[in-house]
Amino acid sequence: MAGVQTSAEKWTNRTAIAAVFVALIIMLTPIYWIAATAFKPRNLATTIPPTVVYEPTVAPFVKLFTKRSQLREQPTQEEYDTAPWWEKMVYDGGEKVVRNRKTGEVRSSGYGDRFKNSLIVSVISTILAVGMGTLTAYGFSRFKVAGEDDWLFFILSTRMLPPVVVAIPMFLMYRVVGLNDTHMGLIILYTAFNLSFAVWIMKGFIDEIPREYEEAALVDGYTRIQAFFKVVLPEALTGMAATAVFCFITAWNEYAFALIMTNRNAQTAPPYIPSQVGSGLPDWTVIAAGTFLFLIPVAIFTFLLRNHLLRGMSFGAIRK
Amino acid sequence: MAQIDMRNVQKFFGANQVLKDLDLTIEDGEFVVMLGQSGGGKTTALRAIAGLETVTSGQILIDGVEMQDKKAADRDIAFVFQSFSLYPHMTVRENISFPLRAVRMGSADREKAVNEVAEVLQITEHLDNKPSALSGGDMQRVAIGRALVRRPKALLMDEPLGVLDAKLREQMRAEIKRLHIARGSTSVYVTHDQVEAMSLADRIVILHDGVLQQVGAPEEVYLHPTNAFVAKFVGSPVMNIHEAQFSGVNGHSSVHIGGAGTGFHFPEQLINHVRNTGQAVSLGVRPEAVLLSHEPQEGYFPAQTSNIEPLGSHDIVDVLVGETVLRARTESGYIAREGQQVFVNIDPAQAHFFDGATGLNLRGAN
Repeated sequence: MAGVQTSAEKWTNRTAIAAVFVALIIMLTPIYWIAATAFKPRNLATTIPPTVVYEPTVAPFVKLFTKRSQLREQPTQEEYDTAPWWEKMVYDGGEKVVRNRKTGEVRSSGYGDRFKNSLIVSVISTILAVGMGTLTAYGFSRFKVAGEDDWLFFILSTRMLPPVVVAIPMFLMYRVVGLNDTHMGLIILYTAFNLSFAVWIMKGFIDEIPREYEEAALVDGYTRIQAFFKVVLPEALTGMAATAVFCFITAWNEYAFALIMTNRNAQTAPPYIPSQVGSGLPDWTVIAAGTFLFLIPVAIFTFLLRNHLLRGMSFGAIRK
Repeated sequence: MAQIDMRNVQKFFGANQVLKDLDLTIEDGEFVVMLGQSGGGKTTALRAIAGLETVTSGQILIDGVEMQDKKAADRDIAFVFQSFSLYPHMTVRENISFPLRAVRMGSADREKAVNEVAEVLQITEHLDNKPSALSGGDMQRVAIGRALVRRPKALLMDEPLGVLDAKLREQMRAEIKRLHIARGSTSVYVTHDQVEAMSLADRIVILHDGVLQQVGAPEEVYLHPTNAFVAKFVGSPVMNIHEAQFSGVNGHSSVHIGGAGTGFHFPEQLINHVRNTGQAVSLGVRPEAVLLSHEPQEGYFPAQTSNIEPLGSHDIVDVLVGETVLRARTESGYIAREGQQVFVNIDPAQAHFFDGATGLNLRGAN
């Protein structure tokens, strides 16, 4: 910031800050809405005008994780009294928790498994994309590759058509090779999506790392691969963190392929959450609870890497 | 410590030849400075010795062993980069001990070696800092420390002072010299700064367009440049070099520059061998060999002064001779103001004649 500001500049600044606030409110309102709905009793979720003040409840989360059915008859007083607090919440909502007939165990809605699938697929595909992307970028950055520009363009061109265009052929191929509804299938897909992005971003970062660092290590008695791990990689971490955040978000939020390629075993959370809209009357609080939980990992991941991300967002300006 | 030999070294980058038949022997314990313009091939030559650049043909021998096909790591040579290239994610201590970890030296020995080098370079207090916390001079000390710590066969430096400011450069120059005298390591130093070359080198190697121009002690290169390139490159201010014409008047032979009617008197024996070649010839004379006088003297002729650069210890005065300018070195304040008339002459003993086409010094070695 300049030390001296004219009054015109002050007003420009204030206007800019006001504009940022307005933008912020527009961006944050849907997130507030999801979070608020996730803690609302069902009867307040869709009121017009919206209910702003209410007593928060975790009932939507209980419902999110359990399999439920409509109550045909009210539970007996004894059943109700002996039920744990969370089961009472389900009774209060006019439903009952479905239990295994033999063992009496509460049956899961499957959300937890979907969430776990999302984590597995996103984390592994992110690690693969960033790892392979970094190595590829290093190769392009440091060695003379015949037709380098063409290769890089080719790598980028894989992102030039909307991925959904290839969904049907991919689905048919996956069915033949048995990758349908497997973690491996989604991991391969997401890694392939993210790889071109990772290569391009990482190339920018690695180009910025002076070659002298490795050359110094080479002269000092290290092999190239040692130099890569000891010198280049620590310097590239910022870029890798920024790239990882983007890859993770892409994989985490991917909807279309997850919907087509998976149904039970490897289904991720995004296709699962809206599928709950369709069974019986939509319970928006449950959907909001599912969505709310779904937002958390990305928020945590981004928060943990925020320092790297702030520097990394300037794409390349990593020196000093 | 080691002797380094380069034999018929050629290097092409694509079709572009950057080293042409380079033959050079660097003696054990010698401090050799490679001097030249950027793009002259000096850095490539240095990198070829280090193994950071392959050579297209020719041999590089270290202590008589062929090294041109060996990896950098196997040559036991240290390299100091212009950009220091200290690893930002490591402390100074880790930076200096990095080469020792490559050879898996024990931590106690490592600690000892690092402390010893740090003491010599006076950077002990910075050992636990990150490089980013250091000043430019200290960064370069660390870089030199990292190079010296494993006692390499030779120390190669690629414009190590290039990014430092003038004052620090002078100070570090002295330190490098002191260090070299103390440790006696074979050193090859690349620079485009002729002052650095003159002050540091046992021998200077001048490269231009990939061709070795001259190898010699600083004073030899300064006093007896083999060609016009070397003459212009070494010395500050630059040697005056102007196309020359010859005439014989009153039993004197005269050398004219800039189309001036009057020439400088030269004894016959000094110019006989150049005046009758029929080739275009240039006269080269260093500013200190341009003589000025307020009074008319034998052999001096009148001229106008123009620009004056007062440098404290001396002045550099531009003197208009015909259509050209001769730069003269005078005691400070000798010429009071621009435009003043003086009488000018040159010292024939310090004059050089260069072939107009090839640039070769026609006087040969005096």
